[in-house]
Amino acid sequence: MDRILALEYNEAVHRIIVHEDDVLRFPDGLVGFPDWREFAFLAPEGEPAALLVCLNQPAIAFLVTDPRLIVAEYRPALGLADRARLGLSADEEPQCLTLLTVRADGAITANLLGPLVINPRTRIGCQLVLDDGRYSSRQPVCLPMDAACSS
Amino acid sequence: MLVLTRKAGQQILVGHDIAITILAVDGDRVRLGIEAPEAVRVLRGELVQEIAAANGEAISDQGQILARLLRHLIPGLPTDLPPTSSVKSR
Repeated sequence: MDRILALEYNEAVHRIIVHEDDVLRFPDGLVGFPDWREFAFLAPEGEPAALLVCLNQPAIAFLVTDPRLIVAEYRPALGLADRARLGLSADEEPQCLTLLTVRADGAITANLLGPLVINPRTRIGCQLVLDDGRYSSRQPVCLPMDAACSS
Repeated sequence: MLVLTRKAGQQILVGHDIAITILAVDGDRVRLGIEAPEAVRVLRGELVQEIAAANGEAISDQGQILARLLRHLIPGLPTDLPPTSSVKSR
């Protein structure tokens, strides 16, 4: 069932339709925020970043991107329990998203330590905590859209 | 919080299927062995706090990138307005 998402922006309220296929469910919420459980995933064509808007909590929205745009070989290992929680069959691979933080000075960092992993078929996801010491929760990134990036 | 004092070699049992063993005590460091079902996440506390903090910092309500995405999503949004107020879902 499609949902109506009311976005208040610049003091005006805009209503957009969110298709059922773009609703992601996180049964355990995000780390530290177990109540953030339903999200609209809004990914305009041709943009490297997408919007994740919480549907069951007001005023919670995130910028996300594919972590492989930042680290090409990024492929977090999922344990059997995580795979079961997402309903991934043995030959299915999850989709990964990383949460972006835009700092006051405009610099962007990505949380590669706590990726969102999603079953593209069931649209169920969870946030992993990668405990192998390889990645940072505040990895500086340069998005292609960011005019301030030099590289 | 339940507070227990243990020596090396002693155990703490949590629920039916979690066991924490004090393997060694060396100065201000304790070496712990944790046995738990695979479904139970066992993580260093500061790691969870770091990710929770990063989640909180990531909440986005204004900025160039957000404005640009919203222009795709909301037809007719004026392109010359700077993003000033928050994005709120209802």
